[in-house]
Parts: sequence; C-alpha cells; structure tokens
Amino acid sequence: MNPFNLQPDEIAVKARGIRRKIIRTNVSAGQGHTGSDLSEADILASLFFRVLNINSDKMNDPNRDRFILSKGHGVCGLYCTLVEAGYLPETLLETYLKFDSDMPGHPVRQKCPFVELNTGALGHGLSVGTGLALSAKKMQRDFRVFVLTGDGELQEGSNWEAAMSAAHFKLDNLVLIVDRNTLQLADRTETIMGLEPLVEKFMAFGFDVHTTNGNDPAVFIETVEKMDMQNGKPKVVIAKTVKGKGVSYIEDRAAWHHRIPDGDEVIRAIEELE
Amino acid sequence: MQQRRYDLREVMVQTFIDAVEKNTNLAVVVSDSTSTSKIQPFQERFPERLVNVGIAEQNLVGIAAGLSLGGFVAITANAACFLTTRANEQVKNDICYSNTNVKLVGLNAGVCYGPLASTHHAIDDISTMLALGNILILAPSDPIDTKSIFEFALGYEGPVYIRMDSGKFPVIHKEDYQFEPGKVDLLKAGSDLSIIAMGSTAYEAFFAAKDSQANGIDVEVLNISSVRPLDKAAIAESVRKTKRVITVEEHSLHGGLGSIVSEIIAEQRLRAKLVRLGIPQGQFSKAGPRNEIRAYYKIDENGIIETAKMLQAHD
Repeated sequence: MNPFNLQPDEIAVKARGIRRKIIRTNVSAGQGHTGSDLSEADILASLFFRVLNINSDKMNDPNRDRFILSKGHGVCGLYCTLVEAGYLPETLLETYLKFDSDMPGHPVRQKCPFVELNTGALGHGLSVGTGLALSAKKMQRDFRVFVLTGDGELQEGSNWEAAMSAAHFKLDNLVLIVDRNTLQLADRTETIMGLEPLVEKFMAFGFDVHTTNGNDPAVFIETVEKMDMQNGKPKVVIAKTVKGKGVSYIEDRAAWHHRIPDGDEVIRAIEELE
Repeated sequence: MQQRRYDLREVMVQTFIDAVEKNTNLAVVVSDSTSTSKIQPFQERFPERLVNVGIAEQNLVGIAAGLSLGGFVAITANAACFLTTRANEQVKNDICYSNTNVKLVGLNAGVCYGPLASTHHAIDDISTMLALGNILILAPSDPIDTKSIFEFALGYEGPVYIRMDSGKFPVIHKEDYQFEPGKVDLLKAGSDLSIIAMGSTAYEAFFAAKDSQANGIDVEVLNISSVRPLDKAAIAESVRKTKRVITVEEHSLHGGLGSIVSEIIAEQRLRAKLVRLGIPQGQFSKAGPRNEIRAYYKIDENGIIETAKMLQAHD
C-alpha cells in the first residue's frame, strides 16, 4: 500500500509543487538538468504518491516495491519528490550539488532513502532491476520493480542485454518506464540515433508494451494500474512526455538539458507553475 | 617427487555447495561460463540458484547487483578478461560504488588461456580492480588457501574480487592454514632474499626457494593472496631484513604486485635491490603453451631460481 494513495488530480497538484522545487533548487545550485527533471515530475509524483508500495516507517522492508532512477541525471526531480512527500527535509535541497553534500548530482543509495542503486552512467538500471525482479521470483516475494530510463539512454546496448534476459526469465514483476520526451543532450533522439519503432522493438524482445501520456497522472496511472502483473512478461511503459514540461520557454528545447533559469525567467517559471 | 595437484575451481564450487547447506542464501551468475567455472556439481544440487545470462557480461554484473539488493549473496563466475574490462563500468558503479554484496570471480586470469592469446589473457585485472574503490582483491594460491578465501568472502558483507586460475595446483599450506584478510602469508622464512609472489605464482616461488636453499641462498617467501587489504608492514619488514627482493606475478608490471612493492620501498625509504618478474608494462603477453609463457617471463620455478642466483652474484 502507498502511504498517500492520492487521486490523480491531487497528484497533479503535487507534481506542480515538485516542479516549483526543481526550479528553485536548480537556480540556487546554479546548475542541474532542468529539462529532464521537469520531464519526469508527473511520473515520479504518480509513483511516490500512489503506485509504489512503500512504507515510510519501514523504508528497508524487503517486500517494498523498488524504484530505480536509471536516468540518474534526473536526480533533482527525485530529491524534490522525496521532499514533497516529506521523506526528506526541505532544507536539504539547499545543499544540492554542494561539496560532499547528501544531495550530489546523481543518486547515491548510501545517502538518500529509496535510492536502490548509484546511477548516472546510463544503461545500468534495467540490468539491476532485472536482477532485483529475479530475486523476488526466486524468494517468492511479491514486490514489483520500476525502472525509469530516459529515451536517449536506450541507445546504450546494455539495456538490450537486460531486456533480452528480463523476457527470458519471464519477469512480469518488472516495469520499465521510458521517459519518452524525444530529446537528448545534443538534439532529437531521432536525429542523433533513431530509436523508433520503439514499440515494435520491445515487442520483438518479448515485452508487454504500453504507451501512455507521462505528463498526465490520470492517464499514466490508469495505464500502470491496468497492467497484468501475472502474464509472464516484463512490462514497458513508453511514457510520452515533454522535456521541460510546465515552463513554456523550457518545454521541448534541447538547449535546456543543462540550462538554468536566470533573472526574470525564474519569476516567470514559478508563476507558470503556481 | 610428483605432488598431487588440485583444480582450484573445484575447491571453489565445493565452498558454494557447503555454504548453501549451511543456509547461506547464495546465487551464482554465469555468462554461458558453466564449464569455465566448473559449476556443474553446484548446478545439479541447486539448479534454482544458478542464473545463466548468456553471453552478456554487462548484464551478468548488473543482474548480480540486483540479486544482492534482493537479499542474495551473489557470485559472478566468468573469465576475468571479460569481467574486469568489458563489464568494468558495471563493476565500478553497480558493485563497488553501490556497495552491493557481490563476489566477482575472475576465472582463468593471467595467461591461463595460453595459446588463445591476448583477447583472453587477463594480465591487467589486478591493476584494473586496484583502480576502483571499495572492493577487496584476493588471489588464492593453493587449494587450502582457496577454500579459506571463499569461506571468508561469502561471509564478508560487501564487494570482493577473487582472481582465479584454471591450472592444477599443488598444496603449499598446512591443512589448518587460515586465510586472514590484510595479513601476509609467510610460506618460508629466510634472511638472504625475499621472494614476494602473488596467488597463482606462489607455488613456483615456494619450490624455487627450496632449490635456492640447496644452492646456499636463504630465501624468504611471502605469498600475497590478500592484495587489498595489504599487509604493507610485513612486506616492508621482510625487505628491510633481506635487502634483496624479487616480485613474481602472472600480471603486467603496471599496477600489479611489483608496483605495490615498489611503492612500499619508495614510501618507506628502504634500501633494497629489486627485480620485478611479470609481463613488462606496455606490452601484451606472448601467446602459446602456458608453461612456455611462464618460462619466457621467468615467472616459473626455473626463472625465479635463475633470478635469485643473479641477484646473489651481483652483490
């Protein structure tokens, strides 16, 4: 059971709160991955305020659902989600990217609750998630494993080694969520190294494939909650998103992968997110 | 006298079986390397505890990390050459940095694959692993050492790399020998010369020392099975005593035992003559029958004896 178990409209409100924190935290740190953080906010809000079976009193419960942020550069989005949910104090966000802080620029499991793996190098989460899902099967535990990757990240070949094995081991307790905003650092994914047809690729690898809107909690949650978790197939949710979602001048622009709002841009961003 | 020799992998696999029987929740992950690891007796007993990921080393290491996060003591067993280089980033991030309870077994390390040449040789595994943080690095020398090392590693909570060999090894330890991490293994005491050997070459040094003794050189032999943690004090003490040192390793002279001992000599300002035996740095190892490769680099018994005599003569 999720301790919040919010309705989609309440989750949308939380997502806006997460986005305001993302803007403030990145502005305060002077660097970060603004576009990626904003892209994933609705997915993270849906997971942490409804989907994930986690217990704040027993964070290391072996039966808890596991979440791996394979797109580790989106860590500010995760920190802001954990703060929004009250798992971490808000003051900690002031230490984001500071020397030896508890909030470095990629997640560290020794430093942050609900971080299962130290990610940042792309293409690692799905293999480790596969191992976790396999451990659940072997130990007859009924937890689920959710792995969030970027879309550009799928250019890493290691994902496809993992995908092959997840289907081979029939890991229906594994859910890969692809933050499909169609942008990577330098340009459109389809310009740099095309991923399409992504649905067919995952189907050919033996996945149970779902496409959804990753910026609409109602649609996203309906997709995730309707999935058959006992059909012998790993799941992939291709969640269509807009990079920089929520701030008009950041939305869908590759230049905002690393950029930080400045001056009046900050005020405008917060206004748009109220 | 022909001594009985043992395959260290068979000893390793028996420790896995014993551990499961003593209720260790263990899983072994292989990458089509069931024969390389000689895992069959384990597989027959506990088929559900063996995971074969196919020929996919990155996934091998990632899945092992995941299994350990789910509560298993996870062991990977595949060729060292593919483990430490192809899957290097997974080893660094998913195992070392994430501090997962995984034991990485680098099989057929050094030049075990002899004629199969440098794609299959792992003469850089120790150097590669020493470059990473948060992982113990162990290199067994004989069947007794192997058993003791694996028993320790399976009980230790955290990342361990174990350098394994495919050869047949004589026994050089007493039956009651116990491996201790961070402790030098003194195989023979002596006063004229220190031979410091790593894991798979320790028996060559041990037998070379016996021959040298007959030639009037009183040799001390240190086996370094515990590369990290390392007993620097005991190495320094031996060097201080004998003032002559030969290091022996089936590994590149870049970043292996020879480098480590050189660092100790330099840092502690010891005065000693040093000869490092191994594969010269910046070179790939020769290919061919393994005993000929060992002879070429003088890391076999005869090569060590020859080097000992040379060091003694140049006094």
